[in-house]
Amino acid sequence: MKNIITVTWYSLREALARKVFIFFFVISILTIIFVGLILYLTGIEKIFAPGMQSDVFTAVNSLEMMFVSPITLICLLLSIFSSASFIPIMLEKGNIDLLLSKPISREQLLLGKFFGGILVVFLNIAFLILGVWLIFSLKFSIWNFEFLLTIFTITFIFSILYSIIVLFGIITKSSTLGMMIAYLLFLIVSPALYTAKYTLSVLIQSSFIKGLIDFAYYFLPKTSELMGKTNYDLASGHGITNYQPILTSLLFLVLTLGISVAIFRKKDF
Amino acid sequence: MDFNSIETTGLTKVYSSSFGKRKVQALTGLDLTVSAGTIFGFLGPNGAGKTTLIKLLLGITFPTSGSARILGEDISGYKIKSRIGYLPENHKYPPYLTGGEVLDFFGKLSGMEGDLLKKKIDELLELVNLSQWKKTKVKNYSKGMMQRLGLAQALLNDPELIFLDEPTDGVDPIGRKEIRDILTELKSRSKTIFLNSHLLSEVELITDRVGILNRGKLIREGTVKELTQKNEEYKLNLEGSNVDSFIKQYQDIFQISKLNNGYCNLKVSDANELNNILDKLRGEGIMVKEIVQQKNSLEEIFISLISESEKGGLK
Repeated sequence: MKNIITVTWYSLREALARKVFIFFFVISILTIIFVGLILYLTGIEKIFAPGMQSDVFTAVNSLEMMFVSPITLICLLLSIFSSASFIPIMLEKGNIDLLLSKPISREQLLLGKFFGGILVVFLNIAFLILGVWLIFSLKFSIWNFEFLLTIFTITFIFSILYSIIVLFGIITKSSTLGMMIAYLLFLIVSPALYTAKYTLSVLIQSSFIKGLIDFAYYFLPKTSELMGKTNYDLASGHGITNYQPILTSLLFLVLTLGISVAIFRKKDF
Repeated sequence: MDFNSIETTGLTKVYSSSFGKRKVQALTGLDLTVSAGTIFGFLGPNGAGKTTLIKLLLGITFPTSGSARILGEDISGYKIKSRIGYLPENHKYPPYLTGGEVLDFFGKLSGMEGDLLKKKIDELLELVNLSQWKKTKVKNYSKGMMQRLGLAQALLNDPELIFLDEPTDGVDPIGRKEIRDILTELKSRSKTIFLNSHLLSEVELITDRVGILNRGKLIREGTVKELTQKNEEYKLNLEGSNVDSFIKQYQDIFQISKLNNGYCNLKVSDANELNNILDKLRGEGIMVKEIVQQKNSLEEIFISLISESEKGGLK
């Protein structure tokens, strides 16, 4: 465990040394300042008519999501980009030789790197969401603690995408393929499968095609649903209304990480 | 010390390309033992398989066949590495860390912590003359400084067995001398050192035994003395008025020839012949002031063995 913590901590140091994470942090600060300015200078509370007092909670929550969703999306895209080279750099000749010459198992080394990447994104996302939440809560005196759960949803989405980057990083020793697949899955495949499964399936006649869509839908992670519905349900205090996207995505994460560890254990450097 | 720090039996490594179309035989049936408390020099041309052997012993790469033990334990476990130090060739350290932080990171990975680690870091930086650079980022280090930091890193856990792959690469002559002194001091503390180096003159100066590898095969192994001495060739320093006439008289019978400053060169078939000549010299009233067995340099032997091996003369 000590070894995993050491590698995780130094992965955090590695991330902090990269300009892109500073950029991430600056975006978060600017977002928080921007939200603060809008809330305190524009009198946005006037949009809530006196009659809708009972719905202020929902309205505030929607506003919070409206500000946070696009920013977290950008932050996720940025996180994928910035963390994609973690594994290839670790696998460089002269670096991996040294790491593997130490009394640390290959599993510990890989998990340390994996958790390091997640920790960086978790801290950045937590900073952004806590900042936005605090400004809203102080302004409206509505302390919606459930909104903070989105920190974990977004970190979970990142960890799924990061597991793909880790797998392809180990196989190819390059960041390009893993990054492309992660972006493809996050931006195209996951939303497309969701649409195909719940909207287009009534139009599809072929049971083979339907089966194929079902298989792809259940097998691949549901980042689009997690980012949308699951996140919104949690933030608005409805809790988790559907565990399926979380559980199947978690299984995908475990499977991908398991394959990564298995390959890494046998690989020659 | 009467146990072996390294033992390999039929150790073989074949690298395959991604789809197995191309295979490279990096090491072929290597049988090697390195005694504890010695400095072993491992020599060979580029691509001979020297680094592959170290990587196999450290579990960085896996053997195709054969077996190996280090410090009495099978190489498949990782915990044995807490007793081993390694300085790889072309090592890379995170450029954003300072020299002190690099040692802190690798020290922690080696299972060290707290004040013991801090004390060890200061000691080692002092040993390799990098104390004043402790808080400088390694991206600003020169090649020689990186090598010295690498050596400090390899010694962090006070290892019993130390693998050094080209430790003096990029280090100036004074730095090389300092590294040699450190290695000699480590040997005096019963550490075993496995040294890969191209600098044969250095290997000759500090190693107890040498192995020469070519195309993955061990073609010669022995002490530096065994490898370099010309068994039946001697240089004699003679004094007497009749030295010249003696040489003229016997140069066709014994292979003796005159050199400068009273020295002559003598080739004999065995020790009996040598003693026979010495008796004759004394019988002629010639004083034998000095007898020196002739040596080749390690470099000469290395080049000759590799050439012979390439021609297929050595198995």
